[in-house]
Amino acid sequence: MNHEGHAKNPKTAYTHLIWWFLFAQGGVIAAILVPIHVLVQGILGPLGIVPVVDRHYDTWIRVLGNPIVKLYLLVLIAVPFFHFAHRLRYLLVDLGVPAARSLPAQVIFYGGAVVITAVTIWVLLTTVPISFG
Amino acid sequence: MKAADSTHPLPRVYKPEMQRGWWLRQRHYFLYIIREFTALPMALWLLWLLYEIQRASNGPKGYYPPSSAAFIAFSIIVLAFALYHSYTFLSLAGVIIHIKGVQSWLIVLSQFAAWLVASAVIAAVLIGFAR
Repeated sequence: MNHEGHAKNPKTAYTHLIWWFLFAQGGVIAAILVPIHVLVQGILGPLGIVPVVDRHYDTWIRVLGNPIVKLYLLVLIAVPFFHFAHRLRYLLVDLGVPAARSLPAQVIFYGGAVVITAVTIWVLLTTVPISFG
Repeated sequence: MKAADSTHPLPRVYKPEMQRGWWLRQRHYFLYIIREFTALPMALWLLWLLYEIQRASNGPKGYYPPSSAAFIAFSIIVLAFALYHSYTFLSLAGVIIHIKGVQSWLIVLSQFAAWLVASAVIAAVLIGFAR
């Protein structure tokens, strides 16, 4: 996060913009999409209350092959981590770990979100081949 | 500045002091820390989902959907935190989003409506494509 360019040199803080955009969107995505996944795939499916797509191999790979589902899962899994990274870093600051403000901590937390994004892309592209069926 | 030096021998630097457990002293502080903490259980659950996707590459014989009581208990705990995140984050929309002529409660209501619709669509897909 850079704070350059205030007053004296009023250029647009694009890095700021990108990180805050990802933070906000990650928060929205986590708020709107995560609870229903946890409820259906984490509770109702395992308890056998409703049939769920990930309970059987054939139904699970069929949806995972769909390119729209892949794109959706990338957004669902990766973007919230940019929100989580920021919140957890400041949670550490609030709980008395000032080192969480440092540049290395920023690299670890936001870099971690970037790594998870890359891993998610890799998993989605290598697990089940793209199919339109 | 000598007079000032004699009265204040050390430069006065503001040092914020937060004692350990400060967040346990007031309900508001506690709820704030819980709100920030919701990120951790949700992150763990999404990592589990990524693992669940990856396991599909093991083939039909190597794929077992999770059914353990521990996993269900974990999901119940995550759901509680996720719902708290949704409630706090979507409520904030009334403060963040300003549209001329639209009252903030209406904006918040639209966020909760979007949450409801998205949840219904996702549930329909997750259940509808199952067997």
